[in-house]
Amino acid sequence: MDDYLRNSLSTMPLFAGLSEATLGRLSRVAFRRTYAPGMLILLEGAPCESVFFIVTGAVRVYRLSPQGRQQILATLGPGQGFNTAPPFLPEGRTPASVEAIGETTVLAIRQEDFVALARTCADFSWAILQDFAAHLLHLTDLVEDLALRSVRGRLARFLLEQADGAYVTRPWTQDEIAAHLGTVRDVVGRALRSLADAGLLRMERGRIVLLDREGLEAEAGA
Amino acid sequence: MTAGVLPQIDLMRCILCGRCVQACPTQAVEMLANGPTIVRPDACTYCTACEAICPVGAITCTFEIVWK
Repeated sequence: MDDYLRNSLSTMPLFAGLSEATLGRLSRVAFRRTYAPGMLILLEGAPCESVFFIVTGAVRVYRLSPQGRQQILATLGPGQGFNTAPPFLPEGRTPASVEAIGETTVLAIRQEDFVALARTCADFSWAILQDFAAHLLHLTDLVEDLALRSVRGRLARFLLEQADGAYVTRPWTQDEIAAHLGTVRDVVGRALRSLADAGLLRMERGRIVLLDREGLEAEAGA
Repeated sequence: MTAGVLPQIDLMRCILCGRCVQACPTQAVEMLANGPTIVRPDACTYCTACEAICPVGAITCTFEIVWK
């Protein structure tokens, strides 16, 4: 048995509750892959072959509009899974493209092995359900953001989440922030300037320094 | 820690169009033999104009998001 795989699996919070027997089965079917920064891991619409769980690094999950505009659906980090839904659907296809942000190591499981585990190991199914629930809540928040908040409000919420370390935290370009918020770079630039003019943040060389939590929370809730 | 932060230019991706040189409001970037280079880093204000104008995404200006 591959000790690296077993150790990687057992340290993931998602799989912390698995029995030794299930961990053993999982480590026999999982395989390791490492991707360079910017490498495409999955392409939207492709047949689903494997599911993935991040060991180290981070990935960007996104869809592209016909005009080429990118909407980031999630930024995922260690312990989180992706492409876990299609194996449960007939003819399930990869729902979104996934790209490595930095050098990223994942554990991959072929979809037939994944489904077999889900059918036969209740503790594994429970872990996957918890992962589904987390994804569902995240996407619900995203829909609320896109439908009900202004760009300025979405930006305030995004900045608070990043500074508080709610998700994967890293340096961002304004283009990446725009893709995360469902808008374009110019609009993000204007929103940043307006928040700075309101005294809620300060733009520095290579840093966005948040100054006023109450003010930003009020913007995020607006 | 951010005093020395400069736009990052990926010369493998750069197509040598020179738009970043024209867009820079402080003439901090010049086109050298191997491609655009920030020759006057002290003049760079990190305004991100070079990143915005680059047609191939070869220039990146990243921001950490932090509390004061």
